[in-house]
Amino acid sequence: MLKYALIPLLPFAGFLIAGLFGKYLKERAAYAAVAGVAGSFILSVSAFIDVLGGTIIDENLYSWFAIGNLTVNVGFQIDQLTAVMLLVVTTLSTLIHIYSVGYMHGDKGYARFFAYLELFTFFMLVLVMANNFVLMFVGWEGVGLCSYLLIGFWYEKKSASDAGIKAFVVNRVGDFGFLLGMFLIFLTFGTLDFTDVFAALSGPAAAQSYMLLGAEIGVMTLISLLLFVGAMGKSAQLPLYVWLPDAMEGPTPVSALIHAATMVTAGVFMVARCAPIFSLSPTAMTTVAIVGGLTAVFAATIGLVQNDIKRVIAYSTISQLGYMFLGLGVGAFAAGIFHLTTHAFFKGLLFLASGSVIHALSGEQDMQKMGGLKRKIKVTHGVFLVGSLALAGIFPFAGFFSKDEILWSAHNAGEVGRVLWMLGVFGAFLTAFYSFRLIYLTFYGKSRIDHEVEHHVHESPKVMTIPLVILAFFAITIGWIGMPGAIIPHANLFGDFLAPVFPVLEHGVANHGLERWLMVFSVMVALAGIRLAYSLYVKNTSMPDRLARSFKGTYNLLLNKYKVDEVYNFIFVDGLVHRLARFLYNITDVKIIDGAVNGIAGMIRRTSEGSRKVQTGFVQEYAFVMGLGLVVLMGLYYVLK
Amino acid sequence: MLHKAIFIYFAAVCIGSALLMITRRNPVHSVLFMLLLFFHIAGLFVLLNAEFLAAVQLIVYAGAILILYLFVVMLLNVDRESAAPRANRYWPWLTLFGLLISAEISFLVLRGSFPADAGQQPMTLAVGSVRDLGIELYTKYLVPFEIASVILLVGLVGAVMLAKKIKD
Amino acid sequence: MPSTLQEFFTLMTPIYPEVVVITVALTVLLLDLFVRKEQKSSLGWYSLAGVIIAALATFKLMGVTGSFFAGTFLLDRFSVYFKFSFYVACSLGILVSINYLKIEDIHRGEYYALMLFATAGMMLMASAGDLITIYLGLELMAMSIYVLAGFMRRDSRSNEAAIKYLLLGSFSSGIMLYGMSLLYGMSGTTNLAGIHAFLRGADLANPMVFLAMIMLIVSFGFKIAAAPFHMWVPDVYEGAPTSVTAFMSAGPKIAGFAVLLRVFSYALQPLQHDVTTIIAGIAVLTMAVGNIIALSQTNIKRMLAYSSIAHAGYALVGIAAGGPEGVASVMMYVFIYAVMNMGAFGIVIMLRRSGERGEEIKDFAGLGKTNKMAAFFMLIFMFSLTGIPPTAGFMGKFYIFKAAIQADMVWLAVVGVIFSAISAYFYLRVIMVMYMSEPQAEFKLATAPSLAIALVFSLVTVIYIGVYPDNVLNFARASIAAIL
Repeated sequence: MLKYALIPLLPFAGFLIAGLFGKYLKERAAYAAVAGVAGSFILSVSAFIDVLGGTIIDENLYSWFAIGNLTVNVGFQIDQLTAVMLLVVTTLSTLIHIYSVGYMHGDKGYARFFAYLELFTFFMLVLVMANNFVLMFVGWEGVGLCSYLLIGFWYEKKSASDAGIKAFVVNRVGDFGFLLGMFLIFLTFGTLDFTDVFAALSGPAAAQSYMLLGAEIGVMTLISLLLFVGAMGKSAQLPLYVWLPDAMEGPTPVSALIHAATMVTAGVFMVARCAPIFSLSPTAMTTVAIVGGLTAVFAATIGLVQNDIKRVIAYSTISQLGYMFLGLGVGAFAAGIFHLTTHAFFKGLLFLASGSVIHALSGEQDMQKMGGLKRKIKVTHGVFLVGSLALAGIFPFAGFFSKDEILWSAHNAGEVGRVLWMLGVFGAFLTAFYSFRLIYLTFYGKSRIDHEVEHHVHESPKVMTIPLVILAFFAITIGWIGMPGAIIPHANLFGDFLAPVFPVLEHGVANHGLERWLMVFSVMVALAGIRLAYSLYVKNTSMPDRLARSFKGTYNLLLNKYKVDEVYNFIFVDGLVHRLARFLYNITDVKIIDGAVNGIAGMIRRTSEGSRKVQTGFVQEYAFVMGLGLVVLMGLYYVLK
Repeated sequence: MLHKAIFIYFAAVCIGSALLMITRRNPVHSVLFMLLLFFHIAGLFVLLNAEFLAAVQLIVYAGAILILYLFVVMLLNVDRESAAPRANRYWPWLTLFGLLISAEISFLVLRGSFPADAGQQPMTLAVGSVRDLGIELYTKYLVPFEIASVILLVGLVGAVMLAKKIKD
Repeated sequence: MPSTLQEFFTLMTPIYPEVVVITVALTVLLLDLFVRKEQKSSLGWYSLAGVIIAALATFKLMGVTGSFFAGTFLLDRFSVYFKFSFYVACSLGILVSINYLKIEDIHRGEYYALMLFATAGMMLMASAGDLITIYLGLELMAMSIYVLAGFMRRDSRSNEAAIKYLLLGSFSSGIMLYGMSLLYGMSGTTNLAGIHAFLRGADLANPMVFLAMIMLIVSFGFKIAAAPFHMWVPDVYEGAPTSVTAFMSAGPKIAGFAVLLRVFSYALQPLQHDVTTIIAGIAVLTMAVGNIIALSQTNIKRMLAYSSIAHAGYALVGIAAGGPEGVASVMMYVFIYAVMNMGAFGIVIMLRRSGERGEEIKDFAGLGKTNKMAAFFMLIFMFSLTGIPPTAGFMGKFYIFKAAIQADMVWLAVVGVIFSAISAYFYLRVIMVMYMSEPQAEFKLATAPSLAIALVFSLVTVIYIGVYPDNVLNFARASIAAIL
């Protein structure tokens, strides 16, 4: 058990060292940090091998606290799902730690940065290893906290600290849903341990239903929807996605680790972990699928016209998360997790590579001021291309396998599924287009770089490029572990490995012929997207401007991200929040604190000021008060006897 | 009966001299009333067959400590004019308060009763003797006895510490 | 009667830890003569080593249970738990003192000796099996602390603190002796087991029994600073040297609770019914007085003094709840309180630089900007004192209130929670001042390795218990069998 406990504890130790002694260690703090995650990675591999050998761990370390009949334990569950997540989290975390050694070099918050990163890794591991909802929630909040800290890492920059606050507020909405879901689970089953809850699902408690607004809603549906609200917040789904693009204000390795590869996928993981609950509610499953499908296309359309290199990838992340939920929603849980895995690698790669571009251009993020970088930063260009091909879903890159498995499952999922499949394919077209628009604008064509910057363009140091190359290798190959039956029969190692943890939802028989045709079709669609990007941004470079002018309305709408931020600002921030704040101000400040007439706070304050005067400093009076106490207590004899 | 009468005499003088002690303006008088008080307390010890304690009471308190007090008071030479007022201006109320406490305690004590067998067994003649007391202190009450010596040491250290001249 | 040296040593085994502490104290007094003024801190480290040796001795004695020296001295898990708490309090007290004494220019060997004497007194209180041992242990502790409170002889506030504490302490001792003599008069014994046996067979309606009980409640209430016997606390805490205040708010308070538990949960256990009612009332009054008056304090030491009163109130809730859960929760709580409070005082001490007192809450202004680490430590300690998870303060309060609810005293738990909520105001105000206000002047903290060790230890303990309360809780639970 100690071995498993060490998986999260090693990064925690790294956090302590970097956090407490960072001042003295300076840049050496990074060694402790890297050692922490690397150790955790090795142990994760070992845990994975254990699981492969059939050892499933579900053990309580100790009981944290107990209220009435609710006992909350600190305990770990390591099954197939957790083992996969452990590998993904620790691999990415290790590589990104190494990359950051170079990327953050010279930053004055160097040790602090690594401390936060370690703390994040710790909480993420707690999240995926938890064997009950409460501990999972602790990890969930913990990664959130680290995320705010890291988004606002350069807190002197106002946009950075604003972005941190935005992420915090939007996530509160989601977390509230998660909490309510947890309460409802406890109310229904009287326990919060995964194993016990899932075992009780076949019992009578799960069949209850509530009357809500005149409609009868099954308790499973209600729980699933509430949990999904939590997942929507953390995994940036419609309509709670608005914080993620702004989160790009954080340092790029943070975007790669937290806002692409791991934390944002926590929602996907949570839904997958609760698959037994979700699968009991067709309504909830359909909701998940529809939200996922819509988000996939919606975010992709915004990504078409953004000019900030990191923002394009951020919208692409939201869109890809949508695909994962689409997969989960149509019952292809393993496919969703598969996409999570491949996505972690190629999206982590894209972020780190874009970091390398930004690094090369001394901090420039606007793609309109790039171009022609292909020859200057060769390694970065190469890995960027690999990442984009994987993202676009071109055979045989990783994204192809996972995305196709999702699309195929959607296609098999009835009427709604068919519509979602169409959305998904359209999204794939958009994805291919915007990812190659990015490639062409950045690496090809004429250079639009500022002259001053141009002199300094340089390839990143080895400590940054080596992790990139490793990630690129995975971005090509990682998909092969989930080989669809249509290409090589019975070779879907990934799906077989995860099969024991997920309930089976049968959607008809395999039809390899049709599946093969659909694959070819979606690759064709993706190639069409790339081809369109090529003609617009390489061959006919004046075309985009003309298009933008002729479709001014649409273009601006997309460029302004459908004005969702503005709408939210108008409704919530300006309208509700300000009004509420003014209301509270009027009540509390004016009536209670200034007026201090009837308010409880004022009363307590005055009592305080008044009773303070009893303390005169005369020792006789103190003795007198003691005597008074004695008299009263002795007098109690008449009351008590 | 006689025993009781003697007890009442000693107790009454104790209370009376204590009251006089705290109400005198002249500190020398106060100390002298305290001496009276200590003598009568020693008398109470004799009544309880605790001759050794009575002797110690006289030798240590009356003989040593009070004489020291007297020396200090006389050396300080507090003149009558500048002596502190007898009591502060709330004294009638405080007296009433004191009476209230006494009344409550008396009420509870008088309504209550000691168990019939209490105080019967230990009062053998031997207990009062120095030898028996010594044996008790060095066997049964060894730990408390030693603590008492440490307390005295702390008192000593503290007195020296606080009273020593501050050198700068 | 021991006839050989070997027998003598065997006889002394149970009080070995006390002997170690007192011996170290005596040698400190001697060594003090030979140590130059600049090197007095070596005496501090020497005393610390003594405490650690005593802790090891206690650890060795953990398996031994029994009553020694004719019942005047008890060795059981209960006393062991409290002794370890005293070691922690004393060690932290020594660590926060070393640098402070230098700054105040009162670095003298007697200081450490007195601290060790006080600790020995507390240890004897925890192990007392007899009213006489309780009284003498308590006087040993109190006497040492009277002197410590007046240690800054040039400062009139310190003198005033010492004399006030001495006068009121003697007053409370008088009341205690009155109660004890009544108990002795009735039962014919000063032994706690004997008193317990007597009360089991006695007529509990006897007003004299009630009177004795009240007298003991009043005098112990004075030691733990329960209202209305708390009046000395703010003045003494403010006037005493800050390092003494830190020690005083932890050690004697824990010792007071040790005796309170030993006497009321064990010796006077047959009176449980009345005790519960009275203690519950005192608990409410104490929480009210402590929390409400703390609101309007501007001096951090006075604020922490009222906070100390309030925390005594929370712990009393646990005593009122009674039963194994109640007792265990109180034991855990006083330990947690001691650690987090000494941590907070450690930060206050850091602000004391020669020339500046640094005791006003406004002196904390801008600490969050000028010294992030110190501000962060203070933040955690304030969170813990408020009772915000995941700090130890939360766990402590949680188990106290849980015990109250289990004892069907839901109202008491509710009152406690309400006052906790009020307390957030003045604890969080310190945080506000640290992080929201601009620093007033150039800031240089008085840091030292000894202080850093104490602070890190406190912080780690506070977080550790907040996340993993089981160790301490189980230790406390395993320790209560002796008195229940």
